[in-house]
Amino acid sequence: MLKDITFGQFFESSSPIHRMDPRSKILLLILNIIFLFLTKNVFSLIIPAVLTIVIIIISGVPVKMFIKNIKTILPIIIFTTLINLFYGSAGTVLIAFWHFTITTSGVMRAVYMASRIILLILQSSVLTYTTTPNDITDGIESLLSFLKVFGLGTAVHMLAMMMTIALRFIPTLVEETEKIMSAQKARGADLENGKLFDRIRALIPVLIPLLISSVRRAYELAEAMECRCYNGGVGRVRMKQMKYSLLDLWAAVVCVAFSGGVIALNILL
Amino acid sequence: MSNIIEVKNLCYSYDGDAQIVKDAVHNVSFTVKSGEIIGIIGHTGSGKSTLIQHLNGLLKPASGEIIIDGKNIWDEPKKIKDIRFKVGLVFQYPEYQLFEETVFADIAFGPKNMGISGVDLTKRVEDICDIVGIKKEYLYVSPFDLSGGEKRRVAIAGVMAMQPKVLILDEPIAGLDPEGRKEILKMISKYREQFDATVIIVSHNMEDMAVLADRLIVMNEGNLHMYDTVYNVFTKSEELEGIGLSVPLVTKVLTSLKKKNSGIRTDIFTTDDAVEYLCSIAAGGRYA
Repeated sequence: MLKDITFGQFFESSSPIHRMDPRSKILLLILNIIFLFLTKNVFSLIIPAVLTIVIIIISGVPVKMFIKNIKTILPIIIFTTLINLFYGSAGTVLIAFWHFTITTSGVMRAVYMASRIILLILQSSVLTYTTTPNDITDGIESLLSFLKVFGLGTAVHMLAMMMTIALRFIPTLVEETEKIMSAQKARGADLENGKLFDRIRALIPVLIPLLISSVRRAYELAEAMECRCYNGGVGRVRMKQMKYSLLDLWAAVVCVAFSGGVIALNILL
Repeated sequence: MSNIIEVKNLCYSYDGDAQIVKDAVHNVSFTVKSGEIIGIIGHTGSGKSTLIQHLNGLLKPASGEIIIDGKNIWDEPKKIKDIRFKVGLVFQYPEYQLFEETVFADIAFGPKNMGISGVDLTKRVEDICDIVGIKKEYLYVSPFDLSGGEKRRVAIAGVMAMQPKVLILDEPIAGLDPEGRKEILKMISKYREQFDATVIIVSHNMEDMAVLADRLIVMNEGNLHMYDTVYNVFTKSEELEGIGLSVPLVTKVLTSLKKKNSGIRTDIFTTDDAVEYLCSIAAGGRYA
């Protein structure tokens, strides 16, 4: 049901990765992803793989939570694997039927593609598991603040504020949806049975009140913010200051070292 | 009179991440006679709303039975929809559930789900509007153009239009002005007279409970703390205060007066009765 929706899947802990500055976490994630895509074959993937495992262990987040995330994108992984399986033309032919041939290079390619997606998901999961959605938004805002130079400072702040508000209201709206669904069920609305078209129609009595109350909430929130003299980021200071620490430096050193490893392997292999 | 509602050993708990799983409703049993008005009072989070959502099958009990009109409602889970027409439930702030383009269409939503259509449907909607005092010219207005109190009345009428034998209302007067509150309570009484319905009201307003209810259910931390007549509940003011509730304001006034003069009665719960009582004292000339 609705309450199964997890968004901002933060896992409470105080591991070194949790304590890192959100900005460095975002930047290092980008760095790691870039080098993940710079690998040339399945062998040079070993280095990012080791790095990912190390990060997961340090993060202290239970492995089964990562597996859960991979499960959700399993269809994409399978699809990519199958497509790539038939793409190799070099190497020995393993199976050939009708128009399709599977070669050793195809298998290698499929394994490479699949592991790359899995590593990508794992790395991003570490960020969302160890950083609260609000911290991520703050981090993004701070990282994009260089756009001020181009006169886009307010735009960046607005974007970040919108993200923060959206995240804040997801649980509220989920609760509201459940309430409205119960109320309409009490009036005999059938939300679970029937043909697809009937079920979509049955959602109207839920969606319209939800939309109206979202708009109402938006107005109320806007007024409450104005009452507290919010004027869109200009001259606004933060209560929670972000600070780089030694931890971030170490993390950067490790990630750069592994990236160097990827380059080295790419040259050697 | 026969029992219309029988609740036997009802238990329910919300599943959550909380390590301490506490029952939202724990081992609750009670019966309601046909035609009674029952008030449910209790502190926030005492399980009132959870309890009433069981009575029309929106929540399924973890254990225990709910018997409506002599039939266990979960005997045939496929027919649970029929129970919802028999037991009408009005949620808190029902005006936020309006969605149709006209007042008529919104009130007709429930009856339509029952399979009523055409002339019968029109008649049903118009009948209920007569009872609850929604003017005919309002029927083709958008419900969103109405005032807060009017919206609330339309929303309650939407449940009443299904003509349920049992009408349950969760805080029907919360957040309304005194005039709006009076209107809502009047329409509930009228509906009950017209359809011989049983009414269950959840409320924090002790004064209205004293006026309306025959018996009161007092909920405390998921348990049924008391189930007794209004008199027997409100004479236990200390016990009520112990669980975060109180007696009607007028009773508090009398209790304060009693401190000045021990001859004052404190077992009066409605303003009208108190006025009569105090006037009789004044007429007697004792404190005049």
